[in-house]
Amino acid sequence: MSRHRLIATLLVYKGDVVQTRRFKRTNMVGSAFAAVEFFNAWAVDEIMVLEISDDDRFRDHFLEIVEELSRRCFVPLTVGGKIADLERVRAYTRAGADKVVINSGALRVPGLLEEVAAGYGSQALVVSIDARPDAAMPSGYRVMIGNGREETEFDAIDWARRVVARGAGELMVNSTEHDGNKRGYDLELTRRVAAAVDVPVIAMGGVGDWQHMVDGIVEAGADAVAAGNIFHYTEHSTKKAKEYLIAKGLDVRIPTFYKISLPRRPRYRTQSVGR
Amino acid sequence: MIQPMVSVAIVDYGLANLRSILNALSCFDVTVRLAESGGDLAQADKIVLPGVGAFDKAMEGLRGRGHEAALNEAVQGRGVPFLGICLGLQVLFERSEEGQGRGLGWLAGTVRRFSAAEVKVPHIGWEATEMKPGARLFAGLQNPSDFYFVHSYYAPNEGEAAAAASGVCRYGSGFVAALERDNIFAVQFHPEKSQLAGLRLIQNFLTL
Repeated sequence: MSRHRLIATLLVYKGDVVQTRRFKRTNMVGSAFAAVEFFNAWAVDEIMVLEISDDDRFRDHFLEIVEELSRRCFVPLTVGGKIADLERVRAYTRAGADKVVINSGALRVPGLLEEVAAGYGSQALVVSIDARPDAAMPSGYRVMIGNGREETEFDAIDWARRVVARGAGELMVNSTEHDGNKRGYDLELTRRVAAAVDVPVIAMGGVGDWQHMVDGIVEAGADAVAAGNIFHYTEHSTKKAKEYLIAKGLDVRIPTFYKISLPRRPRYRTQSVGR
Repeated sequence: MIQPMVSVAIVDYGLANLRSILNALSCFDVTVRLAESGGDLAQADKIVLPGVGAFDKAMEGLRGRGHEAALNEAVQGRGVPFLGICLGLQVLFERSEEGQGRGLGWLAGTVRRFSAAEVKVPHIGWEATEMKPGARLFAGLQNPSDFYFVHSYYAPNEGEAAAAASGVCRYGSGFVAALERDNIFAVQFHPEKSQLAGLRLIQNFLTL
């Protein structure tokens, strides 16, 4: 069993990092570069960057951002947003993604997950599931796509099993009602998904204090916990989050500070870079 | 101190995504070159062999581009410091359960696949690596330290691998997470994705 991971999530809207609440944008919090530099300095185990603009006009801009981020990201980098074919997966990977996240594309594009898993391996494929409480569904949760705005016919647990069978190596679970509400993850949803599949599950959406992360792991059985908003507003936030998880006895990577004699900015004297 | 203008060659055999290791090496005050064929290794002060993908394909790529002979000459012959990463550790052995063909064979032994009956395969995530005292690659690092792993095959902690092991990991029946013998260094984890501990390790290699 590998350690529980702390994941920092950046949402990029038209080139800016933003916050969301119930899938609606609220504040702009600044540049992705500053955020990643900040996360890197402390205790985050993985960084996730998601493109959430309304249309695809910012594709190239986003790719540049990912490429620039990857230069300063020395933990695994997961990238998602608007993946509807292998070409986009290639583009994200070439820009520096170690894994990709697929949400709506898993439903809209038959065969997509299978292709990505065959080409890059399941370990590089995260499927993100957004769900809304719905008494009409067997599990009580309905899958939503299109940034949480579009209803599907799928039950969340049934969908989780299907995408794992199609090649997902990891699932990320977010509730449209908890996103940005600071009241914690939807533990019931997370618990039911984690119990239904044997791949790692990432809890996402709603962290308002560090205890919510502990609840995600201990109460809901999540392998990894993700948050975005909270990290932007707390000084030394990822370090504090990590220290809290450690104090609660959870098995997480203990970050150690090493003095590295790096130039202040990466220097590029690379020659014959053909890719 | 890193010697000024140390020239580091990253072995490019056409398969691996080299961006991450390129990014990490570029943080330091060294010149980084992608070696697209064996001839490009002749001038290198240090050689890094990254790797993802499959054992046989990697070896085909290394042979097809003249890297195998050039690596033997530079690393075995001239003693150029060498760092293999992930698959770059596995190809140092004679064989792997992943393929039919031969590896570089610098170390005797066979690379094995994790048993899905015992552990999750692939092994992915942060894992503690226990270091042997005096390991040059781990100088100044806390023991144990966490590094980031993504792999389905491993070098068992036995025979020549055990003799060269500088770090081991308790996953499955345990495996060699890092090894060093003379000028040959290799790690199963990804130092370029292992935060400050990984950068420190890369710095150690560059300052050898």
